[in-house]
This record gives sequence, C-alpha cells and structure tokens, in this order.
Amino acid sequence: MDKQDSYDAIVVGAGHNGLTAACYLAKAGLKTLIVEKNEQIGGAAVSTEMYKGWIYSNCSYVCSLLRQEIIRDLELPKFGLQVVPYRGRVTFSDKGEYLASYDDAHVKRREVGRISPIDVDAYDRYYQLVMRQCRFIRPFLLRRAPDPTSMKPRDVGELMFLIKRIYDIGPRDVGEMIRFWTMSIGDFLDEHFEHELVKASMAGSGIIGTGLGVYSPGTAYVLLHHYMGDVDGSMGAWGFARGAMGAVTKALGAAFESAGGVIKTGSGLSEFIIENEKVRGVALENGDEYRAPIVASNLDVKRTILKHIGREKLPPEYVRAVERFKIRGSSGKLNLALDKMPSFPLLPENGDYFTGDFSCNTSLETLERAYDDWKEGRWSAKPYFDMLIPSKIDPTLAPPGSHMMSLFIQYAPYDLNVNGVRSADNWNDETRKAFADAVFDRIEVCCPDIRQRVLHAEVRSPADIEREVGLTEGNIFQGELTFDQLLFNRPIPGYAQYSTPIDGLYIVGSSTHPGGGVMAAPGANAAREILRRNGKGDLMPALAEEEI
Amino acid sequence: MAGEGSKFDVVIIGAGHNGLAAAATLGKKGKRVLVLERSGAIGGLATSYEISDGLPISRHAHLAYNLNPTVIAELGLSGKLSMRPLATIMLSDDARHVEIDGETIRFADGSAHPDGEAYKEIRNRIKKFAGLLAPLALRSPPDPGGGLSLAGAGEAMPLAALALKLRLMGKKDMRDFLRIVLSNIYDLALDDLPDGPLAGNLAADAVWGAWAGPRSPGTVFSLMYRYGCGGAPLLPQGGMGAVAGAFAAAARQAGAEIRTGVSARRVLIANDAVTGIETDKGEKISAGAVMSSAGAVQSMMLAGAEHFDVEAVRRIRNVRSKGMTAKVNILLKRAPDIPGLSKEQMAGRLIAAPTAIYVERAFTQAKYGEMPAAPIIEAVIPTLADGGDRHAVSAIVHYIPRNLKGGWDDAARARLTGLTIDTLARYWPDLRDNVERVDAFSPADIENETAAPGGHWHHAELSIDQLLTVRPVNQLSRYAFAVRGFYLCGASAHPGGDVSGAAGRNSALQLLNDGVLA
Amino acid sequence: MMKAQTPRSVTRTLAPTPFHDRLAELNFLNSWRGWNGFLSAEVFECSEKEYFAIRNQATLMDISPMCKYRICGPDATRIVNRLIVRDIRKVKVGRVAYAMWCDEEGMTIDDGTIFRLGEDEYLLLCAKHMYLWLHECAWGFDAAITDETEALCALSLQGPTAFSVLKAAGLEGAASMKPFDTREIEPGLRISRTGYTGDLGYELFTAPENAHSLWDRLWSAGRQWGICPTGMEALNLARLETGFLAPGVDFQPVHLALRRGRGRTPFELGFGRLVDFDKGHFNGRRALLEHKARGPRYHLVRLDIEGKEPAANAYVYHNGSKVVGHVTSAAWSPTAKRNIAFAELEAPYGGAVRDGLFAEIFIYKEGAWLKRNKKAKVVDEPFYRNARARQTPPNAF
Repeated sequence: MDKQDSYDAIVVGAGHNGLTAACYLAKAGLKTLIVEKNEQIGGAAVSTEMYKGWIYSNCSYVCSLLRQEIIRDLELPKFGLQVVPYRGRVTFSDKGEYLASYDDAHVKRREVGRISPIDVDAYDRYYQLVMRQCRFIRPFLLRRAPDPTSMKPRDVGELMFLIKRIYDIGPRDVGEMIRFWTMSIGDFLDEHFEHELVKASMAGSGIIGTGLGVYSPGTAYVLLHHYMGDVDGSMGAWGFARGAMGAVTKALGAAFESAGGVIKTGSGLSEFIIENEKVRGVALENGDEYRAPIVASNLDVKRTILKHIGREKLPPEYVRAVERFKIRGSSGKLNLALDKMPSFPLLPENGDYFTGDFSCNTSLETLERAYDDWKEGRWSAKPYFDMLIPSKIDPTLAPPGSHMMSLFIQYAPYDLNVNGVRSADNWNDETRKAFADAVFDRIEVCCPDIRQRVLHAEVRSPADIEREVGLTEGNIFQGELTFDQLLFNRPIPGYAQYSTPIDGLYIVGSSTHPGGGVMAAPGANAAREILRRNGKGDLMPALAEEEI
Repeated sequence: MAGEGSKFDVVIIGAGHNGLAAAATLGKKGKRVLVLERSGAIGGLATSYEISDGLPISRHAHLAYNLNPTVIAELGLSGKLSMRPLATIMLSDDARHVEIDGETIRFADGSAHPDGEAYKEIRNRIKKFAGLLAPLALRSPPDPGGGLSLAGAGEAMPLAALALKLRLMGKKDMRDFLRIVLSNIYDLALDDLPDGPLAGNLAADAVWGAWAGPRSPGTVFSLMYRYGCGGAPLLPQGGMGAVAGAFAAAARQAGAEIRTGVSARRVLIANDAVTGIETDKGEKISAGAVMSSAGAVQSMMLAGAEHFDVEAVRRIRNVRSKGMTAKVNILLKRAPDIPGLSKEQMAGRLIAAPTAIYVERAFTQAKYGEMPAAPIIEAVIPTLADGGDRHAVSAIVHYIPRNLKGGWDDAARARLTGLTIDTLARYWPDLRDNVERVDAFSPADIENETAAPGGHWHHAELSIDQLLTVRPVNQLSRYAFAVRGFYLCGASAHPGGDVSGAAGRNSALQLLNDGVLA
Repeated sequence: MMKAQTPRSVTRTLAPTPFHDRLAELNFLNSWRGWNGFLSAEVFECSEKEYFAIRNQATLMDISPMCKYRICGPDATRIVNRLIVRDIRKVKVGRVAYAMWCDEEGMTIDDGTIFRLGEDEYLLLCAKHMYLWLHECAWGFDAAITDETEALCALSLQGPTAFSVLKAAGLEGAASMKPFDTREIEPGLRISRTGYTGDLGYELFTAPENAHSLWDRLWSAGRQWGICPTGMEALNLARLETGFLAPGVDFQPVHLALRRGRGRTPFELGFGRLVDFDKGHFNGRRALLEHKARGPRYHLVRLDIEGKEPAANAYVYHNGSKVVGHVTSAAWSPTAKRNIAFAELEAPYGGAVRDGLFAEIFIYKEGAWLKRNKKAKVVDEPFYRNARARQTPPNAF
C-alpha cells in the first residue's frame, strides 16, 4: 500500500462537526484526512450560487449556536468568518395583525402592548425564565455527557457537576426547571401569555426541526435549544454568517488545512474497513482506500452504523438500538431568487423590518394542526415558516436591487402520504410544486406579490435534503431532541461519549451530545474524547468558559 | 391549635376514597376526625347507583387496578373487598379479538397471537420499572428545600434508594429505564410491535383519563403509573361504590364521623393557622387541621387566595386538568352477544382501541375540543358474572373533551350516547337493538357531580411537569397547603389519581409528622 | 369594555413626555437619557448648579416616566396589603406611604410610594413595571388595576423655596399639608408633599393636556424664587445624601434577576421596620419570618469614607485583607461635606462588625490609575437632614 494513503485519523463527512473535530485532531498533531462525498465541503452549511448572481445557504441559514469558544479557539475570523447579529422578527396572523420585535427593550414593550397590554410584563418574565434555563445548560454543551451507570471518576465527576449545578439553583428553581424541561411549549406559553399572536410568535422555536407539535411535552426544551446560543455574548441572539453559511465551513476547512489537514472531496464513503472489531480505514465509492487507526464519522448514527458497516460486525442489540433511534424528517426548504424587494403592506413604514425573520402563524392551534397533518404523512395545509431575506443583511448575496429569500418550512414529511401509501418516493416535481404552492399561499398572507417577484424557486423536501446532504430523512438535528435521545441517551445509551462498539470508530456529528444546529460542540467534544482515548488528552484546549 | 373542648382534631373536606383513606389513617392514630361530603353519598368518583331496580352499576370509575396494597393493609381492607380479576379483550372489527389474560396472550378463539411475546416483553419491562417507582407513591415527594442538612439527606433517601435499585438492575436495564421513562408509548410500542390490538392496548392503557395522545412524551410514565400496583384490572362486586364503602367503613371503625349533604363554605384561619371550618349551613366547627380532597384551585379558594403567595396562586391557577373522559352506562334489553367472544370473554374488560394510531387520531380531534369520530372505550358488563338475566354495560369513553366546542348540553350528551353505541356497535352490531336505556355522564356532568376539576380523574393532569415535587404545583408538593394546618389530600396531590388511596394516606401521615396537631 | 382599535404601529424612538417641549427649550446641553422608554433630561446645563438649586432654591423635574398604577375597588385595601410588607390600613386617606414589596421568598421586588386617595382607591408610584404583578396580586379580589403611567404626567417641585413657588402660583392651599400628605388641590391637579431629595418638596400630578399650563404656571411663579430645572444627575446626588435607595443600583429588584440569589430582603436593605407581621398574610410573609429568625445575610449600609474621592464601585475590605462587600452608590456630598456611599456588606459586617472597614478606591487622573485604601465608617443616620423639610406650614426658607 502506498504510504501516502495512510493517516493517523480520517474524518468522514465535511460538515461543520466533522470539520471541527478534524481541526482539533490536526492541531493535536494527528495526520488527518477528511473525505467528503460532495464536490464542496460544508454538508448542510454550504454557500452556492442558486441562480445567476443569487448566492444562498443550501440548508442551514442562520448562526447562533456555533460555540463562541470554538470560533475563538480555531481563529475562524482569521479564516474569513464574520458573524453579523441580525435584528428583529415579525409574525403575521391570518387576521391582518402583525407583531414585530425590536432591539430596544422599551420599543419592544410598546409593540407587545400595542396588541396585548397584559402580555408586556409577561414577556419580560418569560424571557428571564428561559434565560435562566440557558444559563443552566450552557456549561454542559462543551462537556462530556456522563454515563450514569459508570463508576469511573470521569463519569462520576461529570454527574457530580450536574448535581451540584442543580443544587446551586435552589429548590424553587429546581421545580421551575423540572417543569420547563418537561413541558410542551404550548402549555408553557399558555401559562405566560394571553394573546394568541404573542404566543404564536414565540412557539416556532419549540418545533423547528422536530417531529413534535407545540403541545407535545418536551418542546419547551427544543425552544431552549434555539435560545442557548449567543452572538458576542448576547444570549439568545441570532447571527448571520457573511457570505451565507458556507462561510462557517469554509473557515473551518481553511483552519483545518492550515493545521496540516488534507481534504478529499467528490467521492462518498462505501464502507468503513473493519478488521477484528477494529476500524482500519475507509473505502470510498470510487474505489480509493485510506487507512487510519482512528475514523470519525460525521454522518448521523443511522447512516454510520446501518449503511456502511455490515451488521455481522456489530452487536445485535446495538444495531437494534440504532434502528430505534428517531431521526424524523419534518422540515423542508424554499429558496427564492426575487427580482426586487417584495411588498409587506401590513407593516408600517417607520422602520426596517427586513433584517430579521418572518413567520405567519395565527395561533398555537394553527401550529398544532400543522403537526397533525405531518403525523398523517401530509405537509401542513398551513405550514409554519421561518423566512429571511439574507440579501437585506448581506447585500452581496444578490445582484443590486434584487433579493434572495430563504424559508425554512415546518412540517413536511419524509415519507409523503399519497393515496394512503407513505413513501419518500412520493416526492416528485408534482408534489414538490404542490408543497411550494401551500407555502406561497401562506407567504401571500403577509406578502401578496411574492409570486410575481420570483425569478427562480428551489423547493426541497426532506427526501431531497437527505439525498443531497446525506442527513437521514433530511433532519436538521441528526436525531430528535427528545429526552430519550438527549445527554447520556444520545445517540445510544452506553455509547453517548462518541464511541461505537467498533474500536477506533467514533461518531462526531449532531447525533451525539449536545445535538444539532450549527453548534460544532459535538465535533469538539468528540475530538476531546478521541484524543483522550489515544493518550493525547492534554493537547485538547479547555473550551468551556467560566460562567459569571 | 384545636380549641379546648373542640370535638375534632381534623376536618376532612370530601368523602372520596382519598378523604376516607386520610380519615381512617388519622383515626387509627387516635385523632378525632370529621369528614364532610357535599353530596348525599360518599365515594366521590367511586360510587354506584341502580341503573334498574336491584341492578347496581358504577356511576363513574368502574375498575380498580391501582389500589395500593400498603393502603389496603394499613386500613385493614384486605378481606373486605370482593373483586373479580378481569381478562382484557381488545376488540377488533373483524371479530378476531385478542385476549390478554396475565401472561396469556391469544386470539379470542384460542389461537396463538404472533406478537404475544413481543407485547409481553414491552409490558413486563414497563411493569418492572413501575415496580421500581412504586415506593415513591407511598412517600411525600422529596423536599428540594431540604438541602444538604441531615433532614435534607433524609428527604433524598427515597430517590437514593431508587438510584441504588436502578443500579442493581444492571447497566442494561438502568440505561433502558433512563431512556424510556420520559418517552412516548407510541414509539415504544411500535418499535417492536406491528400496529394492531396489542399496540392499541399499550397505547390506550397509557392514556385513559389523560389529556395526551400515545405520541405525547410522558405516556410511558403514565403507563408505569397505571402498572404501579401491578395494573391487573379488578371488578368490584356491586360497583365502585362498594370500594368506597369499604374505605368509609374503615374510617368509621377508626372513629371518624362522616356527614353527607354538608359542604365546606370556607376554612377558618387565624394568625396564618387553621382554626376550623365553616359549613354551608353556617356552622363553625373548630379543628386543628383541615384537609381538602378537592382540587387545588377549589381548595385554595376555600381558604381564600389572600392566604397564598401571589406566585403560588399563579401556579395553582395554571394546574392543567382538562378532563377527557366520559362515562356511559347502557341498560340492555337482553343478554349481550358479541361476535367472536364467549360469555366468559364478554365478561372481561372490553377495549375499543384497535390500533395505536386509532388512539392518537381520537386525541387529535379531541384536543381541539371536538368530539372524536371514534373514541376509545373501556367497557365492562358486570352483570354477566353475576348470572342474572338483567344486563348493563359500564363504559368509560375517552377523548370526550370537557371543553367541548359549543359546550355541554342535552344535544351534546345525545351525541355522546350515539357515538358510544356506534363505536361499540362496530364490534357488537347487535347492540343498537339491545339498548333499553342510556345514562351518559359527560366530563362536565362528572365535574358537577364530584367536583373533580374538569371532570379529570387525576384532578390534575398526570404529566411529568405535574408530578412529584411539582404536584400539584412547585413549592406546595408536600400536602401542606400554604396555611399551617391546611392540607391537600386528594388526587391533585402526589402521587395522583386512580382509586389507590395513596394520596389521602400520605397526606394524613405528613400532617401527623408535621406536628401541627401536637 | 369596548375593545379599542389596535394601533397600527408604535413609536420607535424614546417617547417625549407631555412636558418635553418645555424641557427641550431649557436643555442647553441637549443631554437626554431613556427612563422607562421616555426621554428624560440627564443635565440641563450644569448638574452642580441643578444640585445646589435643590438645596438652595426651587427646582422642577419631570417625573412623568415613573410607573403609576391605580388600584380601585372594594378589595383595593386587601390587594395593597397583600402586595406590600407594611400595613396600609394604618395609612389614612390623603396620606402617602413609602413601601417595599417582596416575592414569595421575601426578596424585594421594588420600592415605591403608595397614595391613599380614598378608602378603596390607591395610586402606586414605582420605578419598575408592575402591571402584571398587580393583576396577579389582585386575582380573586374585586378591584380594577389601571396603568396610569401615560394618563398622568407629573412634576417634582423640590427645594427650600418650593412652597413659596406654590404660593406664588396660587396654590397656597398646600400650606397645611404635612409631609406625606396628598390632596386634589384643584380639580384635575393632585399634589403631594413628597420627593426624592430629602428637602422641602412637592409632587404634582395632572392629565397630559394640562401639562404645559402647569409647567408655565410653576415656572413663571418660580422666577422670583430662583426656579431651575433639574436632571437625573443632580437628583441622584440629592437622593444619595438623604438616603433613598435606587432600585437596580443599590439593590437588585428580584424580578429582574437571572441569578435569584441576588435578591435581598427588606431586612437586608435596612427597612426591616417596615415589615408588619401582625397585619395578616402578605406576599413573602412566611419566608420573611424565616429570614427574620435566621438573621440577614447582608447589610446595606451608609458609609462615611475618608478623603474626597468618591468610592464608586469600590470593594469594601475588612482589616485590609478580606473583601466583605462593595459600594453601590457613592459621591462627595457638597452639603454634608462628607464622602458618602451606600455599600452592601456580607453579614456580620455592617451589622455586628462595624469597625476595620476600608474602601478600595481607584482614581483615574490624567492617564494614570491610583489606588487608595480609605477608612470607611458605618453611619446610621442619613447624611443630610433638614428640619425645613418637615416644617408645617413651610416658610420661604
């Protein structure tokens, strides 16, 4: 075998977590290779030209969860990453109402008070409560999830850290925390607010990317998952990567290469090479083989285990557990190249609302019914969308005067139900168009001329996202964020510390703790575990910052 | 302090089985107890009435499956309850009903069910975990305020014991428990079973009484709760009223006085401590403690919101108790005849929940306040075992919303009756012509008759965010209800509802332990 | 109630108060800041001049941004008593009471003044938003809670010649008002003998449409008495001298704390005397009983610090080594001629242990930081107190 083909570590998949893990491995001195099936790196965070002159992020579209500690430690700004916080949010209702959000706390209060005076103070209280939960959870993001069945000092130590933090918050807040973490976002909002539009404007974060409805217990945690990021220390703020989300992965890629890493794109994984229950390398679809004693898979746990390793090489119970792991396609995308700025006649003219995100959902019931459609294998008749006009933030994304619009759509099923048959194959040009029409109908509630503005539209179903990016069912989190799949349960109880039953094979993507979103924490945590297991733990920087 | 010369140490509001369990527990400790019941009959949700001359039937609850053996033993009820274990029949519209009788899972015709083993594996695993949690039901919830003090350590003991038992189960079970305890029954069942009557059984048993569908996280826990004392359904002779009667007899034997037709107007309070109670008739009865088996909001209002901190009032107002269960009793003209079932099988616990998705779909409609096209039903024909020639069906009809759009009136009740008969007739076509009379109790009727909030039999939804230290609400989970000497003793308190007696008994013990009556 | 038409949009700037036009004419520095979302003058021309006007002449300050709530109905007294730690029943109609209120754990939510307008009618003035909290206090009771922050505008007339200004303005009826009295002195004009300066002073409340005429009336009457507009900066010094707390500065209002441990009880803030355990239940009562039994965890104290350099943000040490607290507000008092501060110290410091305290003061002078350890003495009395503030009827001092 050619010596060139042998490495210390191979990372499969150049998504943000694979890249992050690879950066840390390379920086620790491991000769590291990344293999990527697509021609470009980035996974679900890629910037490409959708239509002549219109640049967009293929899947992920905003940036907040990306751990600031990692950005700083890997010097990503040096490699071109620039995160601009974005402002505002508008929620429209079917009844011709809207609710905007403003930066200034007092203006924001006035705006809530405009439609519902009693909800003004309630908003402050709600936000305090959510932020309190964020403060609690953030230190865990860059730590290992303890194995509660283990008596190893590391696990006991992590468990004690968890117990101590719970103890520290005091009995009253322990109770509040238990409730928050187990409640549905619908019940939680019902407790806090009276006005339906106020509730609806906040509920979206509780369901984005999940196969749960606003009244499913556990969705308050999902909301938290969207709030626990920050931009420049401002907790809960969201940012936009200049040059679209590909800027994140491009910077990671550049950081990796500057640390001496090698990236090979254009051929996907055929299988992991496993000998005597040890991983030995990877075989690619184009026939190339690379050898390494450490292989880190950025693919989700189902793809990693069920598609690229022979069943006979794995304990049957583990395979069953992976099969049970829930990765549910529930969201689609609509990207639009617009000839010019569409009109939003409901909005007053006294401000620039367009650097934030937009949605249109009248009430919690609208959202819950959207979920009911999905349960039956249909896209929502009135889908929830999170809509941005990235070119309003970064004017270089579309030709001058024109605009790029990006919508994240919830819910769209993976296995579409057509005449009682549920299958991903039911997604075709016809169903995609019908799906897009349902979304356009909703956009028209706030933006009546949207159809006239469209030069080019790209609709993507969960099945399309799976095909293009490789995420099972197109799920943005590589696995549902329910309790049975969080912390020491993620992805598989007993294998929550990035390892697999195959010696040397690790899972480093969002299927692992702490989960999805462009956070990069799983990648960094996994690198820490890999290095520790290979006697190089001291080469991993301590990332978690002291919380004040 | 109980006034000198006052006749009672404790007044208990409500003669439901929890109020009676509390009364008996206190009476046995030598406390003088008075139980007030606003209706003419004792029992609360566990009462019987004659649907026809000499034919008693359970008015609301009709099966006992969660009677706590410790409570039974402490109250000396062991030999005094005449109850018959029932097999469960999962009805199927193709008449291929499935019989679940303990460890025997088969089609009603006796042939083996291909998924029987897989079903048992899931059910028995949940039962095993349920047994692990069961001791928690007999303790006050841990006091998170106990901190690191010695008393605090004592409070953490049950949890520590649970953790230890978990570990002793071995890594595999412990991991499995931690994975599934907060998850949903739908996925758990369908991961290992095809959707059909057996999955339907798990789904239905996880959601009776609940404002939740099988897909809602937390439903595995509610099934564990049901299985806490084994979960075997028992049919009391003479209806549930007989069970409440046994509790009442135990209370009286322990010296408690029970007055019916008297309700509490307000709890009397001086210097932040209970001094007694004023009845609706204006009579003032002094006592050192008052226990309420009413719901959390009603109990608060009996004392007066001014005695509760603002945060507590808010939490109590936010307790969710959206009732979802109706009761329909059907007097039959003649003996029932259900295709595919023997007479013995017909005497079992008949469940209309043919698949898990069926159960979920019923919830999907009901959660918006709509009557579902096809509800889930648990029916028994208690008269079959008695050998008489008059028969009646007692049916719990689930996913009938308390907050029905348009409200509950005679027309809505008629729709409920029709829906129940239509649903049962899918498996029992002959039923339509066999109906002599129907007594339908909507959740609103149940609320009116029993004062159960929302007609909800757990008084407060049995969801994870309303359990243990946050049941009924955060900071008030240990039965003591804000004012010194005022206690909650009903289903809204830990551990929750079902005819179990644990809440009343625990509350009484906590009262004694708190030294209020000293 | 008829539902008002929902407005189409909101003001996106800091909102002008009804007095804004008048203030703007006088604000030579154009120095504004936000106060509850309203434009409020920081300084008009010179804060020192404004401060001395408070102690020497008469001053007018626009306090319209204060949160104002009316509680009105048969259960109003029960609601107020449920809210605050003192017994409002002991406050007669026509009187104003300083009050604090707590959460269920006995931690201070805010402080403010409560005007007893009638048997069943109160006006609450405070710094923080309490609309929802009042509604929650009122749940289960019969009274209406209305937010009158914008329905009432208010001026604070403070200084030794304040009464003389009133008299000149035709409001000599205020002569008989004792401190903390309030009355409707003319239809549509409410006056109270209250303030945040510790000097003779009044606060006047009226509807926004009368704002200009009220301002003009006082302003022209005040000319001969040296009337001067004041901004927040001058007021802050005056309030510190006289020992008034500023929420969010001297204590953390617990509703605005992510870290609940930062909440403080009235005992810890030095207002234990306000807590009336005998009046029946009020919010936080049970927790406060426990706190009282256990003793305070902190002491908010007044410090007299040697030297002239204000000890803003200073750590407070005991015996030179141990940090026992920090200064919350500090200034050189031009009237008391002392270097004064509020400081929060961990018990027993400031309570049983009062000696051996030092403030570590950092002073920036022309490109360099100097560190000074200065002796700090705990003082029980306010730094500034003047009998004229309480004399009735008042003179032209």
